[in-house]
Amino acid sequence: MLAYTLRRIAQLVPVLLVLTVAVFGFVEALPGSVLDTLIGTEGGDDAETREILAKEYGLDRPVHERYAKWLVRTVQFDFGNSLVTRRPISLELMSRIPATVYLATVGIMLSMMIAIPLGTLAAVRRNSAIDYTAQVTSLAGISIPEFWFAILCVLLFSLYLGWLPSSGYVSPFEDFWGSLQFLILPAAAIGFRQAAFTTRLTRSSMLDELSKEYVDTARALGHSERKVIFKYTLRNAMIPTITISGLQLANLLGGTVVLESIFAWPGIGRAIFEAILQRDYPLIQAGVLVLGCIVVVMNLLVDLTYRLLNPRVKFA
Amino acid sequence: MTDDARNKGSDSTRRSFLKASTALTGAALAGVPGLADAQSPSKKHPKRGGTLRFGTREDTIGLDTHRNIIYFVSTPLTGITGGLVDFDDKMQPKPAVAESWEASKDLQTWTFKLRRGAEYHNGQTIDAESVKWNIERIKDPKIGHAFTRSVLADVERVTVDDKHTVQFHLKDPHAALDINLIYYPVNLMSPGAVDTADTHPVNCGPFKFKTWRRLDVTELVRFENFWETDSEGNNLPYLDGLVGRPKKEDRVRLTALRTNEVDLIDNVAYADAPAFKKDHGRTFDTWPVPQVGTAMMYFNLKNGLLSEKDNPDAHLLRQAIAHAIDHEGIHQAVFNGIGEISKGFYSSASPWHVKDIEGWPKFDLDKAKALRKKAKGGDEKFTIIANDTFPYMQQSGELVHAMLKDAGFNAVLEILPGPVMLEKQNKGDYNIDSTANSYRLDPDGWYGRNILSTAPETRRRNGYKNEKADQIILAARKEGDRAKRRQMYADVETLVNRDLPMLYTHFVPLMMASNKARVKGYNVSYSGPWSYTGAGMRRTWIEG
Repeated sequence: MLAYTLRRIAQLVPVLLVLTVAVFGFVEALPGSVLDTLIGTEGGDDAETREILAKEYGLDRPVHERYAKWLVRTVQFDFGNSLVTRRPISLELMSRIPATVYLATVGIMLSMMIAIPLGTLAAVRRNSAIDYTAQVTSLAGISIPEFWFAILCVLLFSLYLGWLPSSGYVSPFEDFWGSLQFLILPAAAIGFRQAAFTTRLTRSSMLDELSKEYVDTARALGHSERKVIFKYTLRNAMIPTITISGLQLANLLGGTVVLESIFAWPGIGRAIFEAILQRDYPLIQAGVLVLGCIVVVMNLLVDLTYRLLNPRVKFA
Repeated sequence: MTDDARNKGSDSTRRSFLKASTALTGAALAGVPGLADAQSPSKKHPKRGGTLRFGTREDTIGLDTHRNIIYFVSTPLTGITGGLVDFDDKMQPKPAVAESWEASKDLQTWTFKLRRGAEYHNGQTIDAESVKWNIERIKDPKIGHAFTRSVLADVERVTVDDKHTVQFHLKDPHAALDINLIYYPVNLMSPGAVDTADTHPVNCGPFKFKTWRRLDVTELVRFENFWETDSEGNNLPYLDGLVGRPKKEDRVRLTALRTNEVDLIDNVAYADAPAFKKDHGRTFDTWPVPQVGTAMMYFNLKNGLLSEKDNPDAHLLRQAIAHAIDHEGIHQAVFNGIGEISKGFYSSASPWHVKDIEGWPKFDLDKAKALRKKAKGGDEKFTIIANDTFPYMQQSGELVHAMLKDAGFNAVLEILPGPVMLEKQNKGDYNIDSTANSYRLDPDGWYGRNILSTAPETRRRNGYKNEKADQIILAARKEGDRAKRRQMYADVETLVNRDLPMLYTHFVPLMMASNKARVKGYNVSYSGPWSYTGAGMRRTWIEG
């Protein structure tokens, strides 16, 4: 296990290196320049100002030179300063990542809390009313766009019932209970949609496992149905669920821009989106790189979790 | 003051326009006759205290108020800024950090006498040396925002006469330096705190900086030593603090107001404004701002199909395009019938509005088709670009694209982010730009920077040149008589509507809304709640 883990971590190095090239290349290829943003309108497009600013921000150097410089600094966790806000990028990211992690993690946990019992129950009681209910609900969850569901939630729970705030964010480190009020609606919007996918996956995975011989053997040995389901079958059925949930979580960490806009949630998705609009190169590069690293690490963690769920899984 | 006669002479006109504009815009926003609902700030006795929660569409992109544009209407951070001059509800320049000022006869030297005892937020005295330092910092192309720098383009140097007297020496005569200093704001920051300008700005406005997390929150607290007092001698502002909550989506902001999560919002969407006022007028005050800008179709005259340099029939084509555009369609579909169609840069609500401007070619589809067929290049493909940040620019672009298609033009539309728009404008890689420009307190801010052929922005963006227009604009800069100036600019508008370097389409209105039970004493002008002597955010307080 340790050797496997170390080998996997070593394999991450070339992946991350390719990622840095891709991130830097992608940002360089974006049409429009941060110099245009900095010069703005009414000041004229005079070459002198452009030259002064290019030199000031190091944009007068060749691409490969800038990449090398950026890479050396990045491996030392020095992302430099934002070209637009002029504040340290680490500060910009660190003020956003906790909000995103908080929302995505609670959203995924909520989805698993709904999906695993519901999917399991639907599989165990196949073709029953509960199975049909689970299937219809999950189909609705997949079909309803996340933003529309979010807006409905705001209308119902904020505007008409007045139970929860419609938008905003309070850090859990400042006021934990207060932060939950702001978290419930966006987390529910995420959780409902993700639960729809996970319920269907859990159900089909459970059905698959329940048809296998080891389940019949366990039952023939006289184990209780509860033990057969929860101790043997569910653990095996969880492997694809964990895989997908891990990837969902990684996706959510960078992909909740629309929900962040609806709920005015200060997450990293919006920060990167705004940075792209401003062509704030270092901030885009650092943000995308950090998200890329999170996806890579999540993949590793998912792989390692297989072993915890099923000790028979062998790592090559 | 430089021109008392000028100011007095225009008072009645301004009062009448403000009354009329408030009524007209309020009525337009409501869809019913009558005035806007907002209460008069003078009817209740003000109380000191309370924290106002302000939901805005925009947020500042950085804290250094020289380096970043501080948009008056929508940037909570504006509360920390202050400058030499303010304006009042008649949009007359009023003393702020400068207690008085005067221009030399040749309008090339302006002398400002500073208010004694005025301080920056860190207690440093606002003296002449610090004002000089500020102007020089803003003029530095490595630091000052282009828009603010353009205000000071004519300032050759600043000299210090004594501790409380500072002089601006201009390259050319300018009759409106004082007004131009207000908007966009030439604001003052403490030289002693320049090192923290990007992290903890220290300025001299009515509020002090506390915290800022981009697109999340701006927290400001009252500056106890702000120079302004009310008529009873109480220090302003009344508010203890201000919390800015940027919420980009218009309906998210409106919902937050309705659920009492914020007290005041800007930019109620045009689609929502009439119904909101009708359905919720009892609970919420609404604040119509008749013209925060002017929307237009900008034609590229630097190169391409619509430029005389590349196409001898370019003017004919621009006329054909103008005839193909139905202004009433834009008024209804984009602005929901709110505000006014524009024939010039200034709406009927502005003191600079002139009725007898010769308008642009009227909507006439048959004429548009005939001219297009007659003109060289009438069948060639051309590009309309529109900025994706402002919905009305994008929607106007879409509508004009459809109208031009109806007239048989081979037009394509590209909706683009800001930096790509700028790049295309710089390179002349477009034919029509669906755009808008913000309101200018003095017309030279528009004509002198966007129509005058030698202005950097004219050269950068569309390359328009009309010698007669140039002569009038330069002469207007030196003209002290306001009525004469107004007529001079009207003459320029007539030339613009004939030459068609751009086609004015609509004035950009704005509506703010506040919680009637909580927000008291608030009032608003063209440029939102800031830099506003005797009203705005400085005289607001929170009840309950």
